[in-house]
Amino acid sequence: MTEPTAVTNAVEPLTIEGHWNFDYTYYAGEAASRFFAELRNRRIMGSVCPECHRVLVPARGFCDACFVATDDWVQVSDHGTLETFTILTSSFPGLPEPPLVVGYVMLDGATSAVLNFVSGIDLSDLDAAGMSLLGKPRVTVRFKEACEGRITDFSFILDESAS
Amino acid sequence: MRAAETAIIGVGQTPYRRRHEGSTPELVQSAVREALDHAGVSHRDIDIVVGGFAPDALAGENSPDKRFLPAAGAVGKWSLRINTGGTTGIAAAYAAMDLLEAGHGDLALVVAVERMAQARSVPAIFNSIFDPIYERDTGLSTISMAALRASRMMARWGYTREQWAGIAERNFSHATRNPLAQIRTDYSREDVLTSRMLSWPVRQLDACPVSEGVCAMVISRAELAGGPRPSAHVRGRATFSDSYNMGDRINRPDGDLVELQTLRLAAERAFTMAGIGSAKDADVVEIHAPFDSAEAMAYAPLGFCAAQDGPELVSTRFGHRDDSGVTVNPSGGPQAANPVGATALIRLAECALQVMNAAGDRQVPDASLAVATGQGGSTQFSTCTVLSAD
Repeated sequence: MTEPTAVTNAVEPLTIEGHWNFDYTYYAGEAASRFFAELRNRRIMGSVCPECHRVLVPARGFCDACFVATDDWVQVSDHGTLETFTILTSSFPGLPEPPLVVGYVMLDGATSAVLNFVSGIDLSDLDAAGMSLLGKPRVTVRFKEACEGRITDFSFILDESAS
Repeated sequence: MRAAETAIIGVGQTPYRRRHEGSTPELVQSAVREALDHAGVSHRDIDIVVGGFAPDALAGENSPDKRFLPAAGAVGKWSLRINTGGTTGIAAAYAAMDLLEAGHGDLALVVAVERMAQARSVPAIFNSIFDPIYERDTGLSTISMAALRASRMMARWGYTREQWAGIAERNFSHATRNPLAQIRTDYSREDVLTSRMLSWPVRQLDACPVSEGVCAMVISRAELAGGPRPSAHVRGRATFSDSYNMGDRINRPDGDLVELQTLRLAAERAFTMAGIGSAKDADVVEIHAPFDSAEAMAYAPLGFCAAQDGPELVSTRFGHRDDSGVTVNPSGGPQAANPVGATALIRLAECALQVMNAAGDRQVPDASLAVATGQGGSTQFSTCTVLSAD
């Protein structure tokens, strides 16, 4: 019978470096392509469900509740209500330095809220800023100078500071 | 009470830690062997192996099922892998139960895995789970996703950060009894309120940690369970899914973003199957909530209170193990360890251990009825499971 070979005990855990830096090209689809094209015309467009009649913003090609294709497009208002928000405090690649306010805004005429950045808020005291935004303040859309076909082609500005 | 069709007969868990130094297959083996031993069965007795793992990019292992399913004993068996975000672990258990109920075998092994500490860019990977067309450019992450709900609950129902910190304090207190928990520090309400701000109003100790670990479970057809070994009978279970779009759920008449409609539906169906009125009838409830505010969001759907009465409920000693009522998260819950791909299965495993009277120092005396929830995909998916001792 052969003796078992002595093996090294208590070795340091070996680690191997890995990378997952893949590149992708996403097709936005018909509805979003049109939504982004309309942003260049300074218009926020919603798509309408023929069954439940809700106005989906940002626009989508189908209503997932009724499971039917949306068949109509309507322009919604540039004014709306900040329904909910958070204040980002960590920096993130591609974003301006924090703190940043991001929130869901229900634009007048829409049935669904759209997520985007909100400016015009004094963020020197985060708790004070957060508490002040709990009252669902009114906001207005502000378009970028040059739209590039991204959701960040527009953002929201708090009405009180916009005047 | 409806007759159970399946029963959990064994549980195996690695400890849940910030980082494990073993390979994924080694960790899977460790948890699976423990579950088989606990059940008193051999891997040869297993007919079905279902694995849960999510999301691949956090572990940096693409199509990880190729490596981890054989480590769970899948060679030569009926086997599949499931990914439904946060509900991955429980969705794997449900798939196994479905296959058993359909007559494809007598014994199933379920394993759920998380290796997220292998990633060195966790926030960017969590951002990549969101819609690349309309949402990713806003820097959305799992933390800001939860914070968007938390501030809405403050505005709508008057929750305060102090009340949520009380929930966290109770979870951390319970976790000190659980050797598997990652955070076993008895953090106070004050510690929570002064921890680092992540995304207002959510601070570090309002949230869950980055965790790794593996949970495994042996599930049997109910008529084959029993005998001298304890088992946990599945009395009711249901899962519902919602729209992906969080903005569509704002002011939605049949369920606002913070009303957790899918959990309400899942709980109603599971409780009806089990013949119970609400989660108040349970001795133990494990709530899959990686944030204290998210736990509060589950109270109304589980029938603990009306949504607007949540702030009042959390101002009591609700859920403490020394309180006379139901014990919430005797394990410490996801705030003490949240290995994403495994955490929903852990909630079920902890409930099973409780009704088997096998939960060690965290055992709630005489626990015989337990409810476990699962949440995934920005609360797009909810599950509710009712377990009983016999």
